Amino acid sequence: MRSFISFTKKEWLFHMRSGKITVILLIFLLLGIMNPAIAKLTPWMLEAMSESLSEAGMTVSEVTVDAMTSWVQFFKNAPMGLIVFVLIEASIFTDEYRMGTMVMILTKGIKRYKVILAKASVMTVLWSGAYWLSFAVTYGYNSYFWDNSVAQSLIPSVVYWWLFGMLCTVLILFFSAIMKGTTSVLLGVGASVLFFYILTLFAKVKKFSPALLMDGNSLIYGAEDAEAYVPAVMVTSVLVLALTAASIPLFNKRQV
Amino acid sequence: MLVIKGLKKSFGDKDVLRGLDLTVPAGSIFGFIGKNGAGKTTTMKAILGLMKADGGSITVNGEDVVYGQTLTNKYIGYLPDVPEFYGFMTAREYLAFSAGISEMNCDNLSARIEELLTLVGLGEEKHRIKGYSRGMKQRLGIAQALLSEPLLLICDEPTSALDPVGRKEILDILLSLKGKTTVLFSTHILADVERICTDVAFLDGGVITLQGSPAEIKKKYRSDEYCIETECASHMELIAKQFPNVKISGETEATFSLADTELFAVMEFAASNRIPLPKLQRLEPSLESLFLEVKEK
Ligand SMILES: Nc1ncnc2c1ncn2[C@@H]1O[C@H](COP(=O)(O)OP(=O)(O)O)[C@@H](O)[C@H]1O
Ligand SMILES: [Mg+2]
Repeated sequence: MRSFISFTKKEWLFHMRSGKITVILLIFLLLGIMNPAIAKLTPWMLEAMSESLSEAGMTVSEVTVDAMTSWVQFFKNAPMGLIVFVLIEASIFTDEYRMGTMVMILTKGIKRYKVILAKASVMTVLWSGAYWLSFAVTYGYNSYFWDNSVAQSLIPSVVYWWLFGMLCTVLILFFSAIMKGTTSVLLGVGASVLFFYILTLFAKVKKFSPALLMDGNSLIYGAEDAEAYVPAVMVTSVLVLALTAASIPLFNKRQV
Repeated sequence: MLVIKGLKKSFGDKDVLRGLDLTVPAGSIFGFIGKNGAGKTTTMKAILGLMKADGGSITVNGEDVVYGQTLTNKYIGYLPDVPEFYGFMTAREYLAFSAGISEMNCDNLSARIEELLTLVGLGEEKHRIKGYSRGMKQRLGIAQALLSEPLLLICDEPTSALDPVGRKEILDILLSLKGKTTVLFSTHILADVERICTDVAFLDGGVITLQGSPAEIKKKYRSDEYCIETECASHMELIAKQFPNVKISGETEATFSLADTELFAVMEFAASNRIPLPKLQRLEPSLESLFLEVKEK
């Protein structure tokens, strides 16, 4: 246990001193503020553009913005946050392979699975913290300006999206256990997400695809019931656990 | 302390180690000499159980080394050829971290850390490792290897990448461990070995070609060559005329071998002809020349 704690502390120190925490938290904070801000600015922007629009033959009817406009922005911007997170964290193992620090650690006698679990725990806390920060900021502004109750199934929809982020986190872990370089890890994660997305194009398997969890807009507009996503939630949860479990023997076998 | 018997290892069809036998006595400072690519690092990784050997056995402190398990590593401190650390930590933080991940028991860890940093000359260093020179990293590497008070310290070419000053510092640290810790270090720089080692072994062609203390080896291969120097060239000419087998190597310098020239005859000739000899000395072979000589046989 002591070796696990020491290693976890080392990871946090690294994330703090390298500025990775700051960047991630700032990005998510910014996204959290941007969602209601864009909603707020929409009528003003349309008005500013109305002249040129009517010249082009379009008439701008009075737009009403509310919490929905802001939540739609939330689900539109969340991928951006996730991409930044994955880009920053993809090198969490590979940097240590490249630098040779991993060999130094392993000759010290720490069990390899503890290295995996320590890094997994740090990424989990970081993703969750950043994501829920962004959510809390948007939620706060929304309830100040408008009324959050117009969004249906809000809590399930944001929890589902968080779960999709968890899957990406575990994909980083999994590909780091079998790959050597950061680019390979990124390609692995990207290819997996693309694969999940392609699944949603096929009606038969769509409801099982983790990528479905990113479609929060259908939930808040009430086009879909929160229950409709349960198969995808199950598949994603099983993947998260299975990929974490698979990473351990794969990492044990690897020659560092 | 460490006994290796018949160690074999090949990469593909390349035999790197072909039945290497090596005994490192407790308390020794052991120089493991071989040119680049001789298999020094491979041997060390096998000792640490980091690399699977194709044959042979290794015991550390009487216990067998098993590949993949690291039970015998509790006796060993290891400094790899290129030690790497987390640049964002200070030396103190790194050593505390090392103690943590190896679950080391120590009553007063911070005192132990200070003691080690002083030993390796990093006691005053407050900066992060990021800005360390090669030599400083090498010294920190020794500190982290010694942290758990190992019985055996294994250093892989600790001096190879350093300038003469840095090399001397590292060698002095290793020398200061004499009597407390058994040290096995590899090198291709023979001068390092002559300076501090109590025992040396030459690795060549996958086997140990020569092993013993430097003095023993030198004695065994002691040359019968003498070097002689006169004050002026005319004196040297006289000697050369009298002893045709003397090999002139300079105006006032020459060498001769006992095989064909008698030492006392030279001395008597010099005495009776009033030729002062500022220098008359038996040539000590350097380990370097020995290494080459052994190789040629
Ligand atoms: N992992 C490996 N795969 C293939 N060949 C290797 C490997 N490690 C070492 N070698 C080869 O084994 C030989 C000995 O290497 P090494 O033990 O590193 O030598 P040294 O440390 O004495 O310079 C070299 O010729 C090297 O190319
Ligand atoms: Mg080497």
